[in-house]
Order: sequence, then structure tokens, then C-alpha cells
Amino acid sequence: MREDSDQITIVFKSNREGIPGTLQLCLDHIRQKTGNSPLHDDLMAKIKWVIMELLTNAVKHSGERESVLKIGLTMDAVILEKEDYGKPLVLTGQDKKKIMWPLEEMVRPLDFPIYHNGMDSLCVRTDETGRAIFFIEQLAELEMPALLSDTSEHFGLLIMTKASDEFAYEHEPDTGLNRFISTFYFNQPLP
Amino acid sequence: MILKVEELNRVVQATILPEEASLSNAEAFKEEMITIIGNGVRLVIVSFENVNYIDSSFLGSLVVALKYAMPRNVDIYLVSLKPDVKNLLTLIRMDKVFRIFNDYEEALGTLS
Repeated sequence: MREDSDQITIVFKSNREGIPGTLQLCLDHIRQKTGNSPLHDDLMAKIKWVIMELLTNAVKHSGERESVLKIGLTMDAVILEKEDYGKPLVLTGQDKKKIMWPLEEMVRPLDFPIYHNGMDSLCVRTDETGRAIFFIEQLAELEMPALLSDTSEHFGLLIMTKASDEFAYEHEPDTGLNRFISTFYFNQPLP
Repeated sequence: MILKVEELNRVVQATILPEEASLSNAEAFKEEMITIIGNGVRLVIVSFENVNYIDSSFLGSLVVALKYAMPRNVDIYLVSLKPDVKNLLTLIRMDKVFRIFNDYEEALGTLS
């Protein structure tokens, strides 16, 4: 494992004007830490998309003035975390049913379909601790993608789920902390 | 102003000016697109030649514009997408609902 110093913590003021600068700070840190073994362009593009969406999510949904972004590098992975004490996650599924955190005991564990565009179904699975893991189920292609029937609110989650190797949400009821975690595994460990 | 617009024979070439197509300009883009579509055109060709990255908010505005255009028999084509931008559209399957061309000339070549 790399040292803890390979994780940086960035306080983001949840203002949309701050998104480009914060994004650049994160990418610069990753480039600096990977140094002589730069990550592949495709992987960097995915990391960029997810950071962008995490920051956009902070501006649009958290209701808080500050979020904390943590960028960590291990030998095996890049791990992005966004934390805030704002409103817990609320997801509205296609049938208009809602799932919200903190979860009631009776609904754990649970698989919950959120959105589909005719080809991908975005779902969330909660475990015993209430941790939510987002995943995609491939659907048979429809003639007319359903993308047009359900617009932007779920695009961000879809992007983060499809771009990441793992994408999860945690809520700590005791403290009110919300945490999104995106993990990108390296095909080969960093030297 | 998010778009630089030129119209000829009810075909609009609309070039996105900012490098970042994001939350900060998604709403303005949507409003400008709806104004263009409402002006009785038959095709809007949106150029991404200046756009280095795009986020879910802007993609949402693009879909709203398409939903507004379809019942009015207005087509929306996308051109000059940089690889990162095109890959993101493909990731969430938007390449299935928009026609995408390399540049204006290729898009115009489809018109009879």
C-alpha cells in the first residue's frame, strides 16, 4: 500500500464556478502521484467524468455550502470520495417509488431499479449496513431508446456508475455524513 | 450567449462557444436551443468543436431540446465532437438518439 500522504483532501465550496478549478486540482494530483507511470488516457477521462459529476452533485443536491473531496491512490486503485453533511440521498425509481436514507430496517437488503434508457438499467443494491452499491443491468436493445422519456436527473448517477469499477453511497445516521465512493482498479499495480 | 448561430434555408448551424459544457451554461443552452427550434427551422446542427468536456446537466439540456424538437419535425445533429465528449455520449447511449457526424460538411451532405 502506498502511504497515506497519497490521499489529498480538498474542501469544495459547492459553487458551480469552482468546479473547473477543483477538477484541475484533482487531476493534477493524480498526474503528479502517478509520475513516471501515467494512467492511460481512457482511465483519466473516466476519472475526470466522475470528479465532474461528484462536484456537480454537490452543487445541485447536497444543500450544503461545503463538501470534501478525497482523492486516494493505492498500488491497485484510484479512490474518489465525496463527503458532506447535507441532505441524505433520495432516489426515485421508474414507478415513482422512493428510497431514502437512512433506510428503514425492514427494507434491507434491497434491489431498487432507478432508471433505464432502453439498453442499460441503473439499479442500486443496499446491504445490511445500508450501504448502497450502484450497478448496471444490460437490457435487450429496444427500437427506440427510452432515454427520451426520462431526462437529466439520473444521467449523473448513470455516468458515475458506468465509468467507475465500483460506485457506492454510504450514510452515517449518527453523524449525518453522506459519502459517495468511486473506485477505479488498475489492470496492473503501479510500480 | 452560448451559441454562435448561422441559418441558411431553415438549416441552423449552432456552434457551442464555451470550452466547458456544464452546469454553468446548461440552462442558457437549453433556452437558446428552444428559441431556435421554435423559429420554424427544419434542422439544427450543433457543433461541439470548442467543447473540451461536458457534464450530465448539459447532456440533460440536449435531451430536453431533442424532446422539444421531435414533435415539431425538427432534427438535431451533433458534429465535431472531441473523443472525450463523444465517449461520454456513447457511455450513456446518447449516440442512439442523436445523429453524430464528423463536421458540418458531412452533416449537410445528408440533406437532399
